[in-house]
Amino acid sequence: MPYALRHGLFAFGVWRRAFDVHAMTLLTRIFWLALRDLTLELRGRTGLLAAVFFLFTMLLILGLALGPNQDELRKAAPGVLWVALAFAGSLLAGRAFGLEVEDNTLDDLLLIPGSREWIYYGKLLFQLLLLLAVGLVLLFLTAGLFYLPLATLPGILVTLVLGSVGYASVSTFYAGMLARLRGREALLPLVLFPVVVPVILASVRATTLLMEGLPLGEVAEWWRLLLVFDVIYLTLCGLLFPYVLEG
Amino acid sequence: MSPLLEAQSLSKRYGRDWVIRDLDFRLEAGEVVALLGPNGVGKTTLLRLLAGLIRASGGQIRRQGKVGLLANPPAFHRHFTGEENLSYALRLEGHTPRASTIAAALKAVGLPAGKPVLGYSSGMKKRLAMARLRLLRPEIWLLDEPEAALDAQGRELLEALILEARTSGGVVLATHDRDWVQRLATRTLELSPIT
Amino acid sequence: MSQSKRMDILTLASLSLGLLTLGIGAFLAFTAPPATEQGHVYRIIFLHVPSAWVGMVSLFVAVAYSILYLARGKAHYDRMATAVIEVALLFLSLTLISGMLWGRPTWGVYWTWEPRLTTFAILLVVYIGYFVVRSAIEDPELRAKASAAISILGAINVPITYMSVKWWRSLHQTQTFDLTTGRSNFDPAMLPALLVNILALSLLFLAFVRIRGLLAERESAKQELSPQAG
Repeated sequence: MPYALRHGLFAFGVWRRAFDVHAMTLLTRIFWLALRDLTLELRGRTGLLAAVFFLFTMLLILGLALGPNQDELRKAAPGVLWVALAFAGSLLAGRAFGLEVEDNTLDDLLLIPGSREWIYYGKLLFQLLLLLAVGLVLLFLTAGLFYLPLATLPGILVTLVLGSVGYASVSTFYAGMLARLRGREALLPLVLFPVVVPVILASVRATTLLMEGLPLGEVAEWWRLLLVFDVIYLTLCGLLFPYVLEG
Repeated sequence: MSPLLEAQSLSKRYGRDWVIRDLDFRLEAGEVVALLGPNGVGKTTLLRLLAGLIRASGGQIRRQGKVGLLANPPAFHRHFTGEENLSYALRLEGHTPRASTIAAALKAVGLPAGKPVLGYSSGMKKRLAMARLRLLRPEIWLLDEPEAALDAQGRELLEALILEARTSGGVVLATHDRDWVQRLATRTLELSPIT
Repeated sequence: MSQSKRMDILTLASLSLGLLTLGIGAFLAFTAPPATEQGHVYRIIFLHVPSAWVGMVSLFVAVAYSILYLARGKAHYDRMATAVIEVALLFLSLTLISGMLWGRPTWGVYWTWEPRLTTFAILLVVYIGYFVVRSAIEDPELRAKASAAISILGAINVPITYMSVKWWRSLHQTQTFDLTTGRSNFDPAMLPALLVNILALSLLFLAFVRIRGLLAERESAKQELSPQAG
């Protein structure tokens, strides 16, 4: 084998291995951070319980206000589903860094060598899992209380995942940015909602179309839009996060 | 050999108050630098700047190696036991610790097994922080009043840890106990208030 | 960093030139031929579209300053981003008010919940939130970083607002200039008036931002009272 080729292959191999090892460590870090936070959250339980209780109350009030006509309730169901999830999500968003601020442990995360994007993605995974869990509970509650038809459940689940990723990517970012600020609970929804409203709107439209039984082709347009939002928010927030977190 | 840590004309201010102004600082391997000065002179701020936890208002810092910080007071997750805190600290750095390693580290600093940090005293937290630092093996050791809240036996453990740190890296240590630090430090840096 | 503490020639030139162009623009706007369906009411477009354009495009200028701030950490960039957004909010409010005045005779209502209006309102709320966050954070560095992040993320709403008439097939008429196809949906006879007004508002925008930036710089210099400010 000619020297240049052999050398090139060797260099490629080294580079490949270095990249793989790096990517693997980052992925394991992200995974362990999310797992650690989930364990802590389940032990503390304050955030999750508050969010579910809040949701339940909200659904009851909305049901009373909009009911009892079944058709009207069903018409309102997609909006109710996503508005409730958005509000519950703003309650949960504080939990992403609340755990670190309460125990004053954010510094220890920042001291871990390497760039800090992985902290964002770890916290995001944690937020996403919480949001999806709450979203599932909510989905069945709206199915029960607002007669949301579950015939197109797979499609609704796709919408739930796409919408939750977009929401959580922004909420985790802002939660990290405001983590050390006094009065963050009041500020967080204020800066969060305007930015996530497009995601919520697209999710509501997709859910409504699914409920009305329109062909998947039309729903897919909204999924594509949601996917575009998700990719933009995930990239931008990940890139910006290290700058806003330090100090 | 290049220094572990090198800061040039480092400055930090909060609003219009300067805490640190035009400070030059070097840390070589094998050194133990004692940081002395009255309360509020900027010892903690300097350590946090050196650790990269806050951004300097001016100047540059170069680091050659991993930073470990013993904060005062050290922070842990209350709802986790000592073992869990140590094991997650290692996992987040990409290691896969064995349960026996963790148990041994906890035992070495004289802490009970399986107790949530919620029930720890401040001296016990200091000990747990020492165990964590030893497991993480940094090269740049930044200790903020490490002797505070420790009993006689705790101080012995701390001295042993500092000696151990010298063999693989350098130590910067902020303290108020001049007599105690005389025996350990290779050099002292006296910070004075900026007028 | 000692920038000129007085209004410089560029500021004064763009201010006077902007006012002059605005006069010409107003003249052209009132002498343009009336529209076939709307009659004279349509003339609001000569204020509505230019202010929307200048307001929205300037939000990307603010993004550039915000990125510069995050990269370099100089307080000057933070002040400029804020100045740009402040003036942009003024122009966007002008867009909103002129749009409502136009909507009343043509649609019969000042406000309706259709996509372009809704996304535009969201855009305004994002940037009002920008100032609420600024007033809530005391630490100047955190304030600058947080507002830079809001400015960068918030700008995503600009293309969403712009595209909303297409995506959601709305009541609002489609874009005056369609950037995705490069076509103008505007009567050529009315085009000069529109372009002159865009130029006028751009010049005024430049002047306002420079004045605002100067004021902000003086304000912060007064607050610092420190020999090495900057």
